[in-house]
Amino acid sequence: MSRVLSGSKLITLLAVFVSSAVLAAPLPKVKLFTTGGTIQSRALSRDKMMEYDDGPKVTPEELIADLPELKDIADVSYTEISNVGSPSVNTEIQLKLAKAINEWLAKPESTGAVVTHGTATLEETAYFLNLVVKSDKPVVVIGAMHPFSAISRDGPFNLYNGVRVAASKEAKGKGVMVLLNDEISAARDVTKNNTYRVDTFVSRDMGPIGFADSDRIAFYRNSLKRHTAKSEFDVSKLMNLPKVDIVYGYQEADRAPIDALVAAGAKGIILDDSATAFAAAAKDGQAKGVVFVQSDRKGSGRVVLSDKAAARGVVTADNLNAQKSRILLRLALTKTSDPKEIQRIFNEY
Amino acid sequence: MTNLTNTVMKSRAAMLIRPTLMGLLAALSVCGSGNAQEIPKAGMPAIVTDQSKLPHVVLMSMGGTIASRAADRLNITNYGGPGVPRVDPDDWVHDLPELANIARVTTEDFRSPVGRATGTETFEDLQKVAKRLNELAADKSVDGIVVTHGTNTMAETAYYMDLVVKTHKPIVFVGAQRPWTGLSGDSPLNLFNAVRVAASKDAWDKGVLHAMNQNINTARDVMKSSSYRVQTFKGVDVGPIGFADPDKVVFYREPVRKHTYMSEFAGHDYTEVPQVQVAYGYQEAPGYLIDAMVDHGVKGIVIDGTGAGSATTSQTEAIKRAQAKGVVIVMTSRTRSGRVQDTPRRKEAMIVPGDNLQPEKARILLELALTKTTDIAEITRIFDEY
Repeated sequence: MSRVLSGSKLITLLAVFVSSAVLAAPLPKVKLFTTGGTIQSRALSRDKMMEYDDGPKVTPEELIADLPELKDIADVSYTEISNVGSPSVNTEIQLKLAKAINEWLAKPESTGAVVTHGTATLEETAYFLNLVVKSDKPVVVIGAMHPFSAISRDGPFNLYNGVRVAASKEAKGKGVMVLLNDEISAARDVTKNNTYRVDTFVSRDMGPIGFADSDRIAFYRNSLKRHTAKSEFDVSKLMNLPKVDIVYGYQEADRAPIDALVAAGAKGIILDDSATAFAAAAKDGQAKGVVFVQSDRKGSGRVVLSDKAAARGVVTADNLNAQKSRILLRLALTKTSDPKEIQRIFNEY
Repeated sequence: MTNLTNTVMKSRAAMLIRPTLMGLLAALSVCGSGNAQEIPKAGMPAIVTDQSKLPHVVLMSMGGTIASRAADRLNITNYGGPGVPRVDPDDWVHDLPELANIARVTTEDFRSPVGRATGTETFEDLQKVAKRLNELAADKSVDGIVVTHGTNTMAETAYYMDLVVKTHKPIVFVGAQRPWTGLSGDSPLNLFNAVRVAASKDAWDKGVLHAMNQNINTARDVMKSSSYRVQTFKGVDVGPIGFADPDKVVFYREPVRKHTYMSEFAGHDYTEVPQVQVAYGYQEAPGYLIDAMVDHGVKGIVIDGTGAGSATTSQTEAIKRAQAKGVVIVMTSRTRSGRVQDTPRRKEAMIVPGDNLQPEKARILLELALTKTTDIAEITRIFDEY
C-alpha cells in the first residue's frame, strides 16, 4: 500500500515538475511600438472624455506597468516611435514605425508586434503597415476611445487583447489587424465610424475577421487582397513618399483645389466623389503628369471598373475610402506613374 | 455532351418532372395577363452564338419565392399556392436569355410537391439534393451549381450542403423576397447574379455560397434577418465575403472554418441522421419541454440560451436529466451575434459551446457530429472547426 502511495507521490512530483517546466517555457516575444493617441492620454479628472490633454502623456513603461497580467501571456518589450495624437502622425513617423517593425519581425526570436495609435487616423497607418510590413508575423494596431485616466477606460483591455492576438499562432498571415472592443478587423477594410463611442471601428462592406474572446482567439475570415509578406512595396530605403492629396466632391464643387494641388506639386490626387468641374481640372492635371484616382464619399461599395474611366486615364479606387486610396497611391507612385499599372495595383491590394 | 446553342440542355432529373400541359397553359395565361410579367422586354443584349467556351452551370430548383408567381404584380405576400402555376426551371432560362452569355445553363427540378412552402423541407429533401450535388460535384462537365430555395430556411439547407458536399466548385444558393412576377422584383437579378457567381473561377474553394441582393455570403454565416425586405440576408458577425457588382464578381475574403472539400462529413450519403431539436431560452423557460424532447427520443438538444448562453434553473435541471440519458447538449445564444464561449463552468456542465452558430445551424452540425461520436470533447472540437 505504501509503495502504491509513494508511486502516486512520484507521479504527483513528476506532474509538478512537468507543469513547472511548461510554465518555464519561453513566452512569445511581443514588442509594443508606441506612437501616442488617446490610449496614451491622461486628463486630470477621471470623468473627462474629451479634451483630455491636460495631464502628462502616458509613457510605454506606464502602459506596461499598468498591466502586470501581460507577464503571463507574453514577453513584452517596447520601442517608442512618437507620443502624438493621430492627426499629427506623418510620413516621417510612418516610415520610422514601418522600419522599426520590419527590423523587429526579421529577428527569429520575435513573435509579433503591437502598435498604439490615436484612433482618428489609425486606419491610415494600419493600412500603410499592411502594405509595407515584410513578414507573416502578426501586427496588431490598437487604440482607445477613452483616455488612460477615465472611468471605464477601454485602453487596457484593448492592449491586453492586442498582445494576446500578436502572441497567437492563429493570427499569423492575416495581414495587419486593428483591434478594439474585442473585434479583430483587417487593416484594409476597417474605418473609424463614430466620433466618440467605443464601438467606432467597423468594416462597412465586410465585417471583422475574428474576435479576441476570453476562451480563445477565434478567426472566421482570411483576406484575399495582397498584404504584408505578399506585398510588392518596399520602403526600407525611402526617406519620403510622393505627395498625394484628397479633393472632396459635392454639389458645385470648384476646380480650384485641384489646380492648387497640382501647382503645389502633388503627384497624385484622390477625387472623393465627383463634380462637374473636376473633369476638366483632372485633364489639365494629367497633362502635367498627375495621377487621378476616383473614390467615393459614401464609404461603402466599389467604384466599379468602367471603360469610360479607363479611357480618361482615371484609376478607380475599388472600395477603398479616400484616405486609404491616398496611402495606396503614394506607394504605387514609388513604382510607376502609368494609370494602367496603378489600376492593377488598386485591383490587387 | 455536345453544345446546344441557345438551347437549354435537359438533364436527367429535369426530364423526370415535366410541367403538365394544364400547368403550362395556366402559366402562359398568368404571363399574358399584361401586368404580371415584370421583366422589361426592351434592351435585350446580343447573345453569343458559340457557347462552347462558357462554363457549364447547373440551375437546380428547390422552389421558393423565386419560383413563384402571382396574378397581380403588387401581390408580394400571398403569391403562389394551389391553382397558381409555379415558375418551372426552364421558364427562368426562357425569361433570362442573357444567361446564355454567362454560362451553358442546364436545369434540374428538385421542387417539393405543389402546396408545400419553404420551411416544410424534410430531411429526405435535403438528402436527395445532397446526393445529387455530390454527383454533380464529381461530374467533370459541370463547372458550377446554382440552387434556388425559399428564403425562410435556405440558410439551413445551404449549411447542410456546406458540410456534406465534397466539392471545390461553387454551389450558390439563391432566392428572392418578391415573386418572379412582383413589381421591382428581386428575383431576376438575383438569379442572374447567382449564375454569374457560379460561373466565376474566383468562387471556387469557398464553400457553399449564398448570393442575393448583390452580396455574396458564406452558407455558415448567412442568416435571414428581415421578414419581407430585400436586404434580409446578413453574414452574422463577419459580413459578406464578396459582391456581384455590375463590372465583375469580386471576393475580398475566404472563410477560415472547414467546409465542403475539407469537411469530414463530405461525400457521404447520409440517409438518416440522429434527431436533434431546439429549445428556446427566455425568462421562466420550462424544463418539461426538454424532458418531452428526451421522451421523444432525441439524441441531441440545442438550447438557444439568453445572453452569453444561459438556461433557466428549470432548464438546467432538465439538461442534467437529459445528459444522464446520453443526450448531448449544445448551447447557442439568442442574441444572434457573438460566440458562446468554452468557459470552465460550461466545460464542467458538459455542455458544448455552439460558437456563433444560430440554433438551427447548430442543430444541423450536431446531427452530423452525432453520426460520428457522442464524446463531448470531440463534439466541442467539431464546433470549434466548422
